[in-house]
Amino acid sequence: MSFEELEHTADVLMRVRGATINEIFADAGRAMFHVMYGPCEDRGIERRLSLEADNLESLLIDYLSELLFITEVENTVFCTFDIDVRGNRLSAVLRGEPFDPARHSGGTIVKGISYFGLEIVKEEEGYVVEIIFDI
Amino acid sequence: MLTGINRLGDLEWEVPIGYVPDMRVPGRFFLSRALAETLEEGAVRQLANVATLPGIVKNSLAMPDIHWGYGFPIGGVAAFDMTEGVISPGGVGFDINCGVRLITTPLTEADLAGKKRELIERLFDAVPTGVGAKSTMRVSNKELTGVMVDGARWAVERGLGTEADLARCEGEGAMPGADPEAVSAKARQRGVPQLGTLGAGNHFLEVQVAREIVDPEAAKAFGVTEGQVCFMVHCGSRGLGHQVATDHLRALEGALAKYGIRLPDRQLACAPIASPEGRAYYGGMVCAANYAWANRQVIMHETRKVFANLFGIDYDEMRLIYDVAHNVAKFERHDVDGASTEVCVHRKGATRAFGPGAPGIPREYAAVGQPVIIPGSMGTSSFLLRGTATAMQKTWGSTCHGSGRVLSRTKAKKEVCGKELREHLAGEGILVRAHSDSALAEEAPEAYKPSREVVRVVHEAGLSNIVARLEPLGVIKG
Repeated sequence: MSFEELEHTADVLMRVRGATINEIFADAGRAMFHVMYGPCEDRGIERRLSLEADNLESLLIDYLSELLFITEVENTVFCTFDIDVRGNRLSAVLRGEPFDPARHSGGTIVKGISYFGLEIVKEEEGYVVEIIFDI
Repeated sequence: MLTGINRLGDLEWEVPIGYVPDMRVPGRFFLSRALAETLEEGAVRQLANVATLPGIVKNSLAMPDIHWGYGFPIGGVAAFDMTEGVISPGGVGFDINCGVRLITTPLTEADLAGKKRELIERLFDAVPTGVGAKSTMRVSNKELTGVMVDGARWAVERGLGTEADLARCEGEGAMPGADPEAVSAKARQRGVPQLGTLGAGNHFLEVQVAREIVDPEAAKAFGVTEGQVCFMVHCGSRGLGHQVATDHLRALEGALAKYGIRLPDRQLACAPIASPEGRAYYGGMVCAANYAWANRQVIMHETRKVFANLFGIDYDEMRLIYDVAHNVAKFERHDVDGASTEVCVHRKGATRAFGPGAPGIPREYAAVGQPVIIPGSMGTSSFLLRGTATAMQKTWGSTCHGSGRVLSRTKAKKEVCGKELREHLAGEGILVRAHSDSALAEEAPEAYKPSREVVRVVHEAGLSNIVARLEPLGVIKG
């Protein structure tokens, strides 16, 4: 499980690798919250989420977009993402803490998830996807 | 230097049909040789991709702050035929009606002596900024509908500004055609608590001084004099706009097959302008654009109150010069092959720059053209320009919107220490206030193209003319 930020002049480009699709989705969420808030701890907040889409890429965009909505309206910051993707359906259990301006102001707002170049690619030892976060 | 593109003149370049498959028209952009050194191949490809969209008229265009984005390049401009053409959220961006307004005060730099720190601290307290910022206003869901339909007028009718402010906004601070039904409950939920907040990233509230007047006649018309303290607001439609863009991008992406549209980039998802999906996006986008005008109006109001209290000046002495949108799609009439024709102009990171006598600009500015406001990067000059007849002929009345990045945020953070930058700027008399120093590093001046060079190009290309240069004195960073 990993994510790394690549060079992109305007926005944030993240490469996410995982052995499984579940790991890809979990780390994509972790990467996005890292961009927005920096470090986060599990302080007992739990949130469940279910989604369905036409394909995996759309599911990934819908899932990340839903996380943007939830974090903003519920004032929560998530750090662990238990993901179960079956076909084009996703169930997630998110854990984290309430937004605290004193600790969570080191990042920036993600405005949206770009479709540009987003493709989940199967590799020999797992999957990789590159995601552009508009900031 | 990139291959496959043609230089048409000192500052004009062409991307010929065939640069990418299925281009319907050529691409054209404006850039000096110096700025061309940093031009990314990806940005040119995105400019060419736009040229593949159905109904595009004349050219796919880009301004000299062109850089690699998603969908359209940043700095991209394109007009579409109202019957054959499409509308695309990828030509507007997630931050619908991100824009800028510039306000003069009766103060000079000397009047700020000994009070600048207090001014910046009071502004920082008055205007919620940064990640997670929430408004102090209480707006009901019903009132939000009013915001989305009436834009800046909604705020003025509640005492948050003056009637004169409205005349000095692009489109008088509201676009027609708002469709609140096209705004989801989610977008509303995000919009209610954020009215009057600045946001993050490159958004700012900046106190400036008009350091240099280049065009005295236009400066007189715009009401700005050398040495005058001004302030500038740069922000957009916040979470409401982001959600409108997200929702409709998804819907349009799902409708591509229905309209037989094939795209080189899914971020260019679009639909015919008159289709149900196209109309819904337009109606939702207008709601978000109007929210953004109300948002900047509220922030200006709060800033005026701080100035009035601290310096004992009248609220009405702080005059809005103009408010411009730089992420929006609009139905406008332009000359197409000698006939006045309605087209749908997309500007993504580009500013409307209507010339003298053009319809839709304030009567008091009719002789000189509309004011164009180009914010600099943090710590560098911003510019006030005026629209031109050349822009009307060449770029659908459009010009650049800012400096354009040249350094990624990762590189900027590696090369710049936020704390040192803050201290360095303070040494130059520029006070910067932000929630965190690390956010400062990402917006360091060296991360951007020099704003002087970008503005020089639009000036020399005739797309807009420089009226005044403004220097920062203090910045509230989003």
